[in-house]
Amino acid sequence: MSRRVYLDHNASTPVHPEVVAEMLPYFTELYGNPSSIHAFGREARDGMDLARERVARFLKVSPPEIVFTSGGTESDNFAVKGLAWARGKGHLITSQVEHHAVLRTCRALEAQGFDLTCVGVDEFGMVDPDEVRRAIRPDTIAISIMHANSEVGTIQPIAAIGRIAREHDVPFHVDAVQTFGKLPLDVDALGIDALSFSAHKIYGPKGVAGLFVRKGTKMVAVQHGGEHERRRRAGTENLPGIVGLGKAVAVRARDMQAEAERVGALRDRLWQGVSARVPEVRLSGHPTQRLPGTASLLFRHVESESIVLGLDLKGIGVSAGSACTSGNVEPSHVLVAMGISVDWAMGAVRCSLGRSTTAEDIDYVVECVEPLVRKLRQAMPVGAA
Amino acid sequence: MRYSPTLVDHFLNPRNAGIMREPDGVGEDEYAGCGDLTRFFLRVRDGRAVEIRFQTYGCGPTIAAASMASELYRGRLVGELCALDAAEIEQALDGLPQDRRHAADVAAGALRAAAAQYQARQA
Repeated sequence: MSRRVYLDHNASTPVHPEVVAEMLPYFTELYGNPSSIHAFGREARDGMDLARERVARFLKVSPPEIVFTSGGTESDNFAVKGLAWARGKGHLITSQVEHHAVLRTCRALEAQGFDLTCVGVDEFGMVDPDEVRRAIRPDTIAISIMHANSEVGTIQPIAAIGRIAREHDVPFHVDAVQTFGKLPLDVDALGIDALSFSAHKIYGPKGVAGLFVRKGTKMVAVQHGGEHERRRRAGTENLPGIVGLGKAVAVRARDMQAEAERVGALRDRLWQGVSARVPEVRLSGHPTQRLPGTASLLFRHVESESIVLGLDLKGIGVSAGSACTSGNVEPSHVLVAMGISVDWAMGAVRCSLGRSTTAEDIDYVVECVEPLVRKLRQAMPVGAA
Repeated sequence: MRYSPTLVDHFLNPRNAGIMREPDGVGEDEYAGCGDLTRFFLRVRDGRAVEIRFQTYGCGPTIAAASMASELYRGRLVGELCALDAAEIEQALDGLPQDRRHAADVAAGALRAAAAQYQARQA
């Protein structure tokens, strides 16, 4: 196997060389603890301050409103639990298509006695803001809706939901892990009170992320200990990671628009190539309100993991929309919420493109998909067989 | 790669895949809680399975297990097929990861069912 094509950028990305270069001194030379008051600590603190400023500039907020964390999952847990626990009891609203970091956190809170409403989505995976409005009760204490879905790429009507949250004076959390550094984000204009973001989806390192918390938002810490992050998140900061996150978002602010146009065109090339050659294939997600680099392909009557394995053997990395673990296979909760029938949902394959993706890569993938799906269908007991 | 070269070969080049016209025995098995489904067709002469074909819906190991079984048991007595053990298929594939053991179980179950159906027809 010589050729390798990585089409799983929604899962993770390679760290940008400019990001690596900026991080390296923080492993060996600028290794102080940012909380220390001596010169070593102050140098480290300077690096962290710059990163915080860069993130704040991207979100058009002030630096003290940024809290660094260890990952998108921690940010989501911090936001949802922090908002809920600060109020002690009440009603939460989220959607059926959230990442498990939000959905399971909400379920855990439900088990603790909070009430929960999970609003549905339409066939494109989009939340109806009016359904959110109707779900609001006098005791609603938080709304958490993702910005864009990692599986199908649909971008939610965040501005409209933000307006509704404001009208009802309910804090609004947005999981923006898939859009931060990919789309412009103006949290004021969108009416957002808390926003989760991560570094490794945007060519930064793994293990570092953050949460924007609007000044004045009533929230409690989830992790206790020292005075770090203005007592909102205890623990010595992952300084090289935070420096990398800051640089990654600065690079994205510079490059993201041009890249969105380029990967959007490649995504279209992929879909056109596959749909012209393979029968019974659909593109899931919203036709226009979608992440530029994400294509969720549904191959009817084929099992997605067999496609992922077949493409893996050709050096291509994509991800399956359904996963068979311990003999238990379920279609993705996102596709189920969209009302996609099992015969299509079980054959979901997500291709997510990125800055290294070329037209030649896409043509190679299209070349490999057609014979693979044809062969798999020949052995199938249903449908095309 | 978490799968053996033998498994990968059977996945990429499945032997005896597809429907059989007028089979002497048909049987299928599905893994509980899992969408995997395999169906075997038998052609029997003088009490032996002279031809075995299959259709399957499942992940790579499930396809490979069915393909392997279709080769492994060709020429065997139907009575033997009725009592075949999934471990033999797993061994022939040079092993399966723990979370994919069901692939051999489904193939074995479907092939046993096809053999049992043939015997029921004869009775």
